[in-house]
Formats: sequence, C-alpha cells, structure tokens
Amino acid sequence: MKNKNNLIFITGIACLISSSASAGFDSSGALFSVTSSAGSGTLVNVPTQITPAAWSNTGSWTGTNASVTWQNDIQGWNSTTSAGFTNGNIVIRNNTTTAQDFAVTIAMLGTATGPLVAAGSVGGQYVNGSASLGSLTSTGALWSAGIDGATVNTQLNNALFFAQPFQVMSLGSFSFNNLAIGNSITDRASIRFSLRLSAGGEASFTSAFSFQAVPGPASLALICFLPIVRSRRRR
Amino acid sequence: MKVTLALFSLGVATIESQATITPPDFQFRVFESGVASGGEACNFGSVNQVSTTEWFFQGSHSNTSGTSMNWSYLVDPDPFITGTFSLTNETAFGKSYVIDFLLPISPAIAQSTVSGQMAGTLTDSNGSGSASMTSTSGGAVYTALADDVLVQSLMSNANQTVSSAFGTTSFSGGSFGQGLPPLAGPAINSTIGIRFSFTLSAGDSVSFSSIFVANPVPTPGALAMGILSLLVARRGRRRTA
Repeated sequence: MKNKNNLIFITGIACLISSSASAGFDSSGALFSVTSSAGSGTLVNVPTQITPAAWSNTGSWTGTNASVTWQNDIQGWNSTTSAGFTNGNIVIRNNTTTAQDFAVTIAMLGTATGPLVAAGSVGGQYVNGSASLGSLTSTGALWSAGIDGATVNTQLNNALFFAQPFQVMSLGSFSFNNLAIGNSITDRASIRFSLRLSAGGEASFTSAFSFQAVPGPASLALICFLPIVRSRRRR
Repeated sequence: MKVTLALFSLGVATIESQATITPPDFQFRVFESGVASGGEACNFGSVNQVSTTEWFFQGSHSNTSGTSMNWSYLVDPDPFITGTFSLTNETAFGKSYVIDFLLPISPAIAQSTVSGQMAGTLTDSNGSGSASMTSTSGGAVYTALADDVLVQSLMSNANQTVSSAFGTTSFSGGSFGQGLPPLAGPAINSTIGIRFSFTLSAGDSVSFSSIFVANPVPTPGALAMGILSLLVARRGRRRTA
C-alpha cells in the first residue's frame, strides 16, 4: 500500500512538471524596438545568462539626437515555479530642440500554457534638462503590458507631467496583481512605453511584467489528495 | 567700437569652439566590496555633442562580480551634470556600492552657487517578494562633489523597500539650492561630480535621476560690465528711436 501511495505521489509531481515544461522563453527570443519621430530601429541587444533560466539584456539605440538605453532581465518559463518575467530599466532621452514621440517595445518571444495569472509594476523619473518648462505626456497609456499583441493591462493613462528647468521629478509607482489570463501565450509577452518628451527631456522607468501558471483542476485535485494520503499513512 | 566688439566676440567664439572639439573626460568610478573599477564613460558606450558646450554620454558596464549598470547623462563643463543611472545587483546577496560620476570643468569657478536634486525607483527585479535600498552606514545616498569634496548631500538614512514580487517604489530624494537666494558653494578648480552610496538587496535594481549645477557668482568687474552693456544697449535704442 505504501509503495502504491508513493507511486501516485511521484506520478502527480511528474504531471505537474510536464504540464509547465512544455513552454519556453529564452534570451534569443528577446525583441527590443523603438519608433520615434527622431528615428526608428531595433535596439542593440547584448544578452548575458545570469542563471540557468534567466538572461540580462543590455543595449542602446541612438537616433537623430534621441536615444534609448536599457537593461532588462528575462526569465524563461521555469519548470519548477511555472513562471516567467521580463523587467528592467529604460531611459529615453530627447536631445533635439523640439518635442518628440517615442514608442519602445520590449518583448520576450515564446510560449506558456494557460490559464495564467499576471502581475506588473512601473515607476519612474522625469528630468527636464532644458532651460524651458518641460513636459512628459502620453495620449492613452504610457505603459502597457501585452500578450500575443493584445493589451492586458495599462498604467499611467493620459500622463501629464511638467517640470521646471533643470528639475528632477518622481513619476510615482503603479502596480497590478492577480490578473487572470485565460489563454495560453502562443507568441510573446511584452511591455510597451508610449510617450511624448519635450526638448531636452529624459524619462526613465523601471518596470516588470510577470506571469505564473494557475494550477489546473487535475493539479488542484492532486494537491488536495496528498494530505489525505499522508494522513492515511500516519494512521 | 563696433569693430572692437565684433573682434572680441569672434575671439570668444573661437576659444569656445576650440575648447569643445573634444568631449570632456567624463569619468565613472565603482567601488564595491573594496574593489574599484571604472574609467572614461565614453569608452563604455557613446558620446554625442548636443550643443556648443553640452555632451551626452550613454553607456553600460557589467563586471564579473555580478553588477550591471547603465547611464545616460547630459553634461556641460560650464558646468552641470544631469541624467539617470541604473544598477542591478545580479548576485545572491546584498551589496554596498559607491558610484561616482566626475566631470572636469572649464573655466574654474572662484565663487559658486550650487543646486541639485534627485529622485529614484527601486524594483524587486528577481521576484523574491522584497527589495531594499538603504544608506550605507546611515550616510547620504546622493552627494554633490566639487574637487572631490562634499558640497551638499541628499537622502541621509534612506530606507526604501518593496514588499511585493516584481513591485516598484518611487521616491523623491529632495533638493538643495533651488529657491532664492541662491545657495553659496565653494570655489571649484577642477571637477564637479555626483556620488551615489547605497546598499542594495540581492537580485534587485535601483535607478536614480539626478542633477548638480554650479554657477559662478559674478565678480564685481563682470557685474560692472553687465550694467555697462545694458546702458549702452539702452542708449542705442534711444538713438534709433
């Protein structure tokens, strides 16, 4: 009887692992791009593996007197925790003499089996490096998280910040948790920044988007079943 | 008189353009666990001239001890430093850092007024559910330097925390010298700089946006010249009218 219980336990754990191991993200599947009124392109990406399942990506893009610098970590779908994330720091600077629009996308390409539960956060600063009143604005969401091209959460909607010459200001921090996502990820999970910076302005953000598997009914049943088996063994 | 002024202006413009052909030797220094590293910022990224006197540096630096940092700074040897610096502690334990950004100035300032400000963001980058950024030994996180000597500091006894997985907290680090009257600073002969000193928890990242500006206090001679110029301009306008 004891051997039979052990067999059920091991089979259950194996099922849990196999259900999440079928998905994957890795560093080579990272995509960084910028479009702006000062130029567009793909951001140079220098990946470094920091753990067996996580990579650090760094790089920059320079347009016509505008630039984007970033450092971003990506953790692949981890078979132990059934989780993945993308997070990092990004700095967007406008060195031109006129206001510029920027859209920066950080995407991790891969798949993950749903249903999932997602969380995210964003915080940042704005520096007005000009001798005039500066502004940081967005039409719609400044920050958005997406799955397979569809937006699942937005933050800093219709942002409007003003700063005096040579002033630094905190943009505050915003987050969400326990966002249920019914579908699987079949292509990508991404973060997008969309904003307008006045001349000489610099916006910097730290943000994260993470997701985790929701145990399926079979897994839940197994988890409930384990204490019963254990109590029976103790008896 | 007009010819003399024109020649004088041309001379000033020539000197200014000669002084800004090469980018300033903007340096960064990293001290962590008693080990120093760093160098000229332009060797770890790029530098672009933005205006006659302003230069934009962006770059990144990763070392073998698990520190990854990047920066984006606009500097003017006249002088000011403004921009953002981010650092991620990729190791499995908390670490203390001292990071300096130093800019040679030109010309030297006999008597200065100074101003500065900072704000930042702390993030639980590894999803552990917590992150912390504290002052090292109760000191200041931001220190404005002139000739490598403290001028003003901000965020003493800082203790910023995040208590949710992948969470973020933003903080305003305060300012100095931004009101009236201007805040008197020291004589500055060679460099201005910003020092960040903090302890960061394992696997987490912090980002600081900051500024440090030093302005020369006009000497009596310069003030007299300024007043004289105004009078001459006024007289010229009257004659035209």
